[in-house]
Amino acid sequence: MQSEIIYTPEGVLRHPVGLLREMRRDLLGSREIAWRLMRRDISAQYRQSFFGFAWAFLPPLAMGMAFTLANNAKLINIGETDLPYTFYVMFNTILWQTFVEALNAPVNAVTGAKPLLARINLPREAIVLAKLGEVCFNFAIKLVLVVALFAWFRIEVGWTTFLAPFALLILILFGTCLGLLLAPFGGLYEDILKGLPLATNLWLFLTPVIYPVPEGGGAFATIIRLNPVTPLLVTTRELATAADSVSEPVRFVAVSLLTLFGLGVAWVIYRLAMPFVVERVSS
Amino acid sequence: MTEGANTYQSPSQAEDAEVLLSVEHLSKKFCRNLKRSLFYAVRDIATELCGMRRAGGALRPEEFWALKDVSFQLRRGESLGLIGENGAGKSTLLRVISGLVKPDAGRVRVGGRVAPLISLGAGFNPVLSGRENVFVNMSILGLTNEQIKAKYDSVLDFAGIADAIDAPLKTYSSGMAARLGFACAIHTDPDLLLVDEVLAVGDIRFRAKCYRQLAKLRKAGTSLVLVSHSSTAILSICDSSIYLAKGGLVAAGATEEVMKQYEEDLTIADHETPPGELTLPERPPASGLQIKRLRFTDAAGQPLRTLVSGAPAQLHVFCYASEMLEDVSLNIIVNELAGENSRVLFVNSAKDGKRMRARRGELTLCFQMPYCGFKPGLYTMKIHVLDGAYYNALDAVESFVFKVASNGSMSQCAFYQPREWELRHDSALEEVANQELTTR
Repeated sequence: MQSEIIYTPEGVLRHPVGLLREMRRDLLGSREIAWRLMRRDISAQYRQSFFGFAWAFLPPLAMGMAFTLANNAKLINIGETDLPYTFYVMFNTILWQTFVEALNAPVNAVTGAKPLLARINLPREAIVLAKLGEVCFNFAIKLVLVVALFAWFRIEVGWTTFLAPFALLILILFGTCLGLLLAPFGGLYEDILKGLPLATNLWLFLTPVIYPVPEGGGAFATIIRLNPVTPLLVTTRELATAADSVSEPVRFVAVSLLTLFGLGVAWVIYRLAMPFVVERVSS
Repeated sequence: MTEGANTYQSPSQAEDAEVLLSVEHLSKKFCRNLKRSLFYAVRDIATELCGMRRAGGALRPEEFWALKDVSFQLRRGESLGLIGENGAGKSTLLRVISGLVKPDAGRVRVGGRVAPLISLGAGFNPVLSGRENVFVNMSILGLTNEQIKAKYDSVLDFAGIADAIDAPLKTYSSGMAARLGFACAIHTDPDLLLVDEVLAVGDIRFRAKCYRQLAKLRKAGTSLVLVSHSSTAILSICDSSIYLAKGGLVAAGATEEVMKQYEEDLTIADHETPPGELTLPERPPASGLQIKRLRFTDAAGQPLRTLVSGAPAQLHVFCYASEMLEDVSLNIIVNELAGENSRVLFVNSAKDGKRMRARRGELTLCFQMPYCGFKPGLYTMKIHVLDGAYYNALDAVESFVFKVASNGSMSQCAFYQPREWELRHDSALEEVANQELTTR
């Protein structure tokens, strides 16, 4: 006989030990469901598509081409980068895109699974894990482009290249953390879903993706330096391309710790808030 | 377990059959206004985050109680019917039991696996094939990979859509998709099955299959909570029922009693006791015959307001014929007023072999019932007077509502059966009877 489940109006935070136990149980129980949902969504997405997997790396290619042309034609004035500019833009765009996908993942998971959530009581971590799985799958495809870029531009690799995936993981987790915080509210208000593309586009320009990290002072440079994505992005790139040194170690560690702590908090808030969202979704 | 006026405990099961579902003083409120409802959601989330208790007792502006102080218990192997009008809170109750919605007051205890048949085909993706969707759906319902593989063939067999199983789901008709969804859900081996009005899909053969499968599950000890507007389904499947109205528990007990109260409430709401007769307004004559009045009478010809099951009754159709009619027949169709409006009678005097000839002038067509066979309730009658040779309707009354009262012994009867009881000691008769049996 399975153990009893009790539903009460009590707040979950009042029994923290029980909450942690439930979180662990739900996370473990989500694995198979998440796997199935991931397979379902990826198959469905590419089954109806002619170009299929190519869509995963066409955007960075396009962006890189566009900005390189603009820069060469001196239409925009970008500073000097240590790496070939085209490679710089494309590689950064790939990283940035992965971050944005991770940020959008929980929000899309909740809004996309509304009919499902309204009818079945499944561990809600499953839908987020499924979407994150998609993000990783998409990155795996982009990896093909990354390897091609490294080969084409003859970029050197070193032992630090093998540390780059960990930095990338922190980048993904940071996006997930923010996404988890937004997801329940995204399930309630349309504004979140509409506002996210706008916000991420603005954020793109505040991150050194298409331009090098600015030196010196000035308001704009300060914002860029305070941007938490900056150290994550920069460090990942520097590790991958075996740069001489990591330029922002302190900020990187700080953001990493913030991410790991924030992820736990965001998870709890997600669990807490979802029942209120689900009951407002019509079945 | 608390006991009170609003609590129902089934007396039929042994006390030591374990309690699978226990609902204690459950209340749930919802907000009517969408924007306000979203705002309340944000407020509730904030309250929970600060670890404070939500004020469950009072209603905030534009909120209403979807469920108020509902308590009942369900033991293993029992089946419970949920009856009530639309909007009474039945679906909300099922959603609380499945854990989708958090209560505002009270408690729900569930032991064992719950499979909600609240809406079929959760998780189905239209682009994938039926085969792939089975895996998705059953995984969402809580089965592991091995369990799904073990039941896979049985599910496909039950759904009965053999050829189309590899086609994308969006090519299925809604009936086929529903059958697949039902097949998945029914194979999850739950301890408690919640069925919310989904048994209405599919053709008759599939519906029969579903009911058979439910019966099989019940025999195997699965408990069942059924929401349905079909009184036949609830009467045949559920031992006990609870009647919800506007979120409150109005009645609980054996299904027939609760059903009777529900149907009374339904019909009393719309109609007072019908008068037993109907006078049609003056109309210009359109054909050779016009119906003037309808009236029920008893065997002696006295006007009858309400029929009684088992008692003789007659229907008099007073007409005026403006010309001679060679072959007149009377066609009577009776439908139940409550429940699913099902047809209970379709009779025609010509089909029964009675030839009637009408002269010019006033005439009365009589429909005589030696016993009124209808069970108690409200019915509506459609009457046609036909010109036999051409099946031409001379005149018709579309709706004549009448009430049938109980004679006291109509509980659990679908119709009145004229009967005699006897005990005999005559051995000669017994031998004859035995001989007849052996020669057959």
